[in-house]
Amino acid sequence: MRNEKLRDLSFFLFPMVFMVVLFYIIPLVLTVYISFTGMRNWNVDRYLHQVVGFYNYERLFHMFRYDPTFKAVLLTTVVFVGITLIINVLGGLGLALATFFMREKPASAFRLLWLLPRMSPIAVYSLVWYYFFHGSSIGTLNSILMKLGIINQPIPWGQIIPWGAWSVIIFVNGLVGVSFGMIVFTSALNQIPKELVIAARVDGASAWEISRRILLPLMKWHFLYVLTWQFLSLLTTYPHLFLLVEWDLVDRDYGTTLALYVFNTAFGRGEQDQGLAAAAAVVLSILGIIGGLITLKVLQFEKMIKRPRGDL
Amino acid sequence: MKWKATLLMAILVFAVVASGCIGGTQETKTETTKVTLTGDFNKDVIEIGKILEKNGITEVKFSAWGSGDPNSVMRVYGIVDTAYKINRIWKQNGINVKITVTTKYDQSFKDQYQEFLSKQPLGQAGDFFVNSYAFLPTLAEEGYILDITNYAKAYQNVINDFYPNLLEAAKYKGKLYGLPQDTEARPLYVRKDVAECAGLDVTTLPEKVKAGEFTWSDVYYWAKKAKEKGCAEWGLIHRKGSAHPDLIQFIFAFNGKLYDPKTGKLVLDVPAVYKWLYVEWKFAQDGLLPKDIMSWDWAKQIHPTIVEGKTLFDIGGTWYWTEWQTKQYYHGRPLTPEEVKKWFAYTLFPAGEKGDKPVTLSQPFIWMINSKAGQLNPKYEELKDVYHALAFLMIIKASDPEINAIHSVISAHLPVRKEAAKLIKDENWLNKLKNLDLDLAPEVKDNIKDIVEKTVNPINAQFLADVSYMLEYTHLAPAHPKYPALADIFKEAVDKVLRGEMTPEEAVKFIEEKIKADKELADNVEIVGEIPKDWKFPQG
Repeated sequence: MRNEKLRDLSFFLFPMVFMVVLFYIIPLVLTVYISFTGMRNWNVDRYLHQVVGFYNYERLFHMFRYDPTFKAVLLTTVVFVGITLIINVLGGLGLALATFFMREKPASAFRLLWLLPRMSPIAVYSLVWYYFFHGSSIGTLNSILMKLGIINQPIPWGQIIPWGAWSVIIFVNGLVGVSFGMIVFTSALNQIPKELVIAARVDGASAWEISRRILLPLMKWHFLYVLTWQFLSLLTTYPHLFLLVEWDLVDRDYGTTLALYVFNTAFGRGEQDQGLAAAAAVVLSILGIIGGLITLKVLQFEKMIKRPRGDL
Repeated sequence: MKWKATLLMAILVFAVVASGCIGGTQETKTETTKVTLTGDFNKDVIEIGKILEKNGITEVKFSAWGSGDPNSVMRVYGIVDTAYKINRIWKQNGINVKITVTTKYDQSFKDQYQEFLSKQPLGQAGDFFVNSYAFLPTLAEEGYILDITNYAKAYQNVINDFYPNLLEAAKYKGKLYGLPQDTEARPLYVRKDVAECAGLDVTTLPEKVKAGEFTWSDVYYWAKKAKEKGCAEWGLIHRKGSAHPDLIQFIFAFNGKLYDPKTGKLVLDVPAVYKWLYVEWKFAQDGLLPKDIMSWDWAKQIHPTIVEGKTLFDIGGTWYWTEWQTKQYYHGRPLTPEEVKKWFAYTLFPAGEKGDKPVTLSQPFIWMINSKAGQLNPKYEELKDVYHALAFLMIIKASDPEINAIHSVISAHLPVRKEAAKLIKDENWLNKLKNLDLDLAPEVKDNIKDIVEKTVNPINAQFLADVSYMLEYTHLAPAHPKYPALADIFKEAVDKVLRGEMTPEEAVKFIEEKIKADKELADNVEIVGEIPKDWKFPQG
């Protein structure tokens, strides 16, 4: 009986396990391995067997201690992930709740509007913000403020460190990320029986009370999912940041997160140091795992998982 | 049933093995697979053609990768034209082999370099690769490009015609890894009408700069005067982004160095770097140079500011000359050749201070050959040497003075060969180029027709002839795999100094700390000298 169950489970789980091993476990193992080699410039034949021990980690640690700007990269990672995460999750939640209380047609149009950043090609979307936040008078924001007489001189928004640079990268990425939470939370809200809301309305509850007492408690699972997913996603995201830094819109040190540092070190420079980048990627993965576990612990994930009654 | 299936499988396996063995017994007769170059191009090409024909090869496929501004397409069509000419020689000699070339031309040379780097190990990169010499050390170090030192010995007469300092840019650790394709100088442009308003005589300026009499203190003096008199909004405009290569001219102008050939290490020349940063800081602090220039937009700010006469000086490149004639920087339209000539004077990059020498800086592009060149052709392993020798002959032919001169005229780059430099001064030849009455592949003529129409004129040819002397003063950034990392740090320091976030002293300290923080960079960079005490700018 047990064997039969194991066989059935293996049959159904095999595709998923296979995919996870192929696309997650193997790359992770490879990344860890490469971090112990002197791999550079894609020269697999030459460097893949050249094991250098903890040399790349030593270099990272040395940089952390002595580089006057490397700490800015780590600090930027913490601030960027933290604040953007709050915007993404709470923004998504706010949008979902707002559209929940609207009529369907305007609600759909409103949701679609927030999806636009995600649908736009990254380069086009980043270019829009490049010109919007440009630190000279050609920047849309500066030009508007100057025309309104609010400022006399253009403000180099992305070059004011640290908060100017942080604000730009958080704003641009926050706008992209907020739609993810909105979709998940909207879907969650649509699963909640309408009778509960109607009954509360009949009893005279306001939209705020309905949200707080009925809707939010029923969305805890979704909240946990969006929070964890967005956290891991933000920790590893870099395409928008890459362009904003590459185009000199934001300060290089305070516009670079660890994920972007990994990308630039591995593929973005004259000499591409994939061993060092892999070591930084391993550190990033460890941070991701620790952060993910903390999130699950804080939101009491284990309490939400209950053994099903009876046999499956 | 089971035994039937087993039998079937056994028969199948046997059939596969047997067919492999039968195929393996078919002997492919391989003829001579080595070639010795003689230095006589036609003879060598015929010899290679015959070897290929005897080995049953009728078609050789090559791909040429090039990149840069839209006018620099000869970087790939030079190879296409070469194939056309070799095919013609083979046909005339009854050799039934043909070269076909596919081309790939991208805008960004850095992006194409990164693509080459990632695809070369997979055997998917171009057979010919023309790119900045700055990447050559890394490519040579990794074994991604062909060492052509031995092939070149037979063609010493051609090699000798290249300017020697440019040839050095094609070498790494004493070995030749390519041939120079083009180069440029980085003049200091002076806006004539603004200079007149400020009272600066530009007619004698190039000579004064050449003699080292007009230094950066004078640039500061006149920039300030032009601004104070209301002749221009700015005194000086320079590039944004990477400090390589325009701005590092300051290091050479202050008699500094970036590389120590004795140790093979990069050098942080503290006094020269300090003086460079001080000049930048002083210009920005006094409002003569925009504090945020490093994040200016090329098309909307930098070029319009220059061509609209809002600055007295600009540190630019020779290619600006035709770029201003093809891009709409001047109130939404390009400048005419006459306007460019009327408005702009140009000199060498002045000496840092009295006693120093004026300089310019070049970033030659190099024809490089993939170390796996020809690998997609039949019998690659046996005929590797023949394919490589053929590829070498193709870059020799693509370096013909005529091809080089065409590229120079239409893209405002400087010729890399003395013979090509003579051609661009020849009016008859220019007329022939204007009418495309030259021996070129029809495909090449079709593709460069429009560019030739817009750019071939006596004014542009004269400009190239006028600035060619600058190559005698040129410097090259070091050919060192770690140089791009150092240039990145310079860029960051310049930006911080311009914005006033750091004083020149703090910026030098910042550069030192950044170098020391990267263990590998620290092993490859010597820090020499100290910040000079009581150094004043401007002087005199």
